[in-house]
Amino acid sequence: MMDALRYEWVRLRTIRSTYWIIGIALGFQLAMSFLIGALAGDDAGGTDSFAILVTIGASTGFAPLFIAYVIGLMGVFSMGHEYRHGMIRATLTAVPQRWAVLAAKVLLIVAVSAACALACVLIALLSATIFSIELPGWGEVLAISSGTTIFAVLFSLSGLAYATITRNQTAAVALLLLVPTILEGIIKSVILAIHAASDDPTGKGGGVWLIKYLPYDSGGQMYTRRSLEDLLEIFGVVPFGPVGGGLVMGTFVALLLAVGSYLFLRRDA
Amino acid sequence: MALIEARGLGKSYGSKRAVDDLSFTVKPGSVTGFLGPNGSGKSTTMRLMLSLDAGQGTTTFDGRTFGELRHPMRHVGALLEAKPFHPTRRARDHLRMLAAANDVSTQRVDEVIRLVGLESVARGRPRKFSLGMGQRLGIAAALLGDPHTLLLDEPSNGLDPQGITWLRQLLKHLAGEGRSVFVSSHLLQEMAVLADELVVIGRGKLLANGAVADFVTSSGLGTVEVVSPDMATLGPELESRGATLVAGPGDATTVSGLDAAAIGDAAHESGARLHQLTTRQASLEEAFLAATGLDEEFRGGDQS
Ligand SMILES: Nc1ncnc2c1ncn2[C@@H]1O[C@H](COP(=O)(O)OP(=O)(O)OP(=O)(O)O)[C@@H](O)[C@H]1O
Ligand SMILES: [Mg+2]
Repeated sequence: MMDALRYEWVRLRTIRSTYWIIGIALGFQLAMSFLIGALAGDDAGGTDSFAILVTIGASTGFAPLFIAYVIGLMGVFSMGHEYRHGMIRATLTAVPQRWAVLAAKVLLIVAVSAACALACVLIALLSATIFSIELPGWGEVLAISSGTTIFAVLFSLSGLAYATITRNQTAAVALLLLVPTILEGIIKSVILAIHAASDDPTGKGGGVWLIKYLPYDSGGQMYTRRSLEDLLEIFGVVPFGPVGGGLVMGTFVALLLAVGSYLFLRRDA
Repeated sequence: MALIEARGLGKSYGSKRAVDDLSFTVKPGSVTGFLGPNGSGKSTTMRLMLSLDAGQGTTTFDGRTFGELRHPMRHVGALLEAKPFHPTRRARDHLRMLAAANDVSTQRVDEVIRLVGLESVARGRPRKFSLGMGQRLGIAAALLGDPHTLLLDEPSNGLDPQGITWLRQLLKHLAGEGRSVFVSSHLLQEMAVLADELVVIGRGKLLANGAVADFVTSSGLGTVEVVSPDMATLGPELESRGATLVAGPGDATTVSGLDAAAIGDAAHESGARLHQLTTRQASLEEAFLAATGLDEEFRGGDQS
């Protein structure tokens, strides 16, 4: 296992994409949080401003958590590069224990994605300090920070799982970008449309309960604060809280990884 | 040092049997050539030996499977068909990465870079490498752990003539040190000078496993050139003993189906004088074509 970790660590450090991915995530965070900080001015404060600063608007439910998509590419590339360039055969001749190879990838993607997301949180804190935006209580600061970080980590792991399952980097990138945005969006709209046309459009019946099990949407509850989703409550949609949402997303990612490992341990390299 | 034993290797792609119940042995201290026509399953066999492909059978290196080896690159060095490099990871970093998993020093990384002659591009990216440079990087990776066993799939692919000569000397030298060298190739002339032992396959099945000389002799393709002033007597005598005679070259007659000793005996018994008796061994190429002729899948169309 240590050998696999060493391999994976050198692998990550000797590939250019690692650097540009982290660079884009931090650069974006820096530019946007300073922009928001400058525009918000002294009067802003409380829960919402800090959440907006950390998630660059995603906490409102109006925007996706951009840094997760960028960091998620690292997860996809972790396995995607192996198949894209036939590296998997070199990897498995250097470390034949497939479970160790996969475990090392998961561990390092968790560590590096978390570090990168935390750095983004620190940038938001810096911006809040510089532009003297009032922070919410420490409990809330911690909740927003950990929620954002955990979401980014799980998002990245789902990318790793897509690449492991499809053995195709391009397909995995497409899945990572489309499943949370388009696919979940479509499912949600279809359920709501059917529900709205039903006899009891504001009830909790029908299929609306399904909506809270959409994994990425649900995971978003970890960093979402004043949400657009609240508007949906008139249709009987009651989303999970941050913990429940995180568990739904975590379970989904664990299942994806389980399928990925099952296939990876059995098939041709 | 390292005896390779492959037992019952098998692999199907859909309904196609790429490798079928293949068993063979590779002895240390020799270069063992792995021969077979295109698509006969050589590369698939090598991947099976390294447990890269899921299939049947086991391969052991001194009794242990590849997956059971700790720091496998220090036991078995492999060069596979497809070049497994990330196009933008520097050559030296690629080797450092493999070394990191196998407790191989950075000093050794620089050593193999020098050994394969890639010093000038060690910090270059494989995307810009020529076919031969990529092949050299692959050979460097195989040699990285100073392994006692080498599995090389068409290592001379893309090498220039100097490179091929260098590789041949290197492999012979490594085998001379007592290592096991298992190398597949299409170049039969190259194999004839390189290999001591052979594993020959056709359509995924074993055709021969043994010394090169035995393989060539057992093909029965050797001939003897006979010059005799009494050919009128000797000719029918030889034919009656099952030989086939062809006139030439020059005033000699080429006899196949009998060896020189049998021909000498026949001449003695029939009272024919012999002026010349020259044994001509079949070439490895002839023996190979004869052995695989019926098995070749993608035979070229007839020219006529
Ligand atoms: N990934 C694959 N999917 C389907 N069929 C395959 C695959 N790899 C190999 N084959 C088939 O298996 C057979 C053996 O192929 P293999 O590459 O092992 O032959 P080879 O002896 O190495 O050929 P060559 O001399 O051309 O390198 C071929 O018929 C090939 O078409
Ligand atoms: Mg091949």
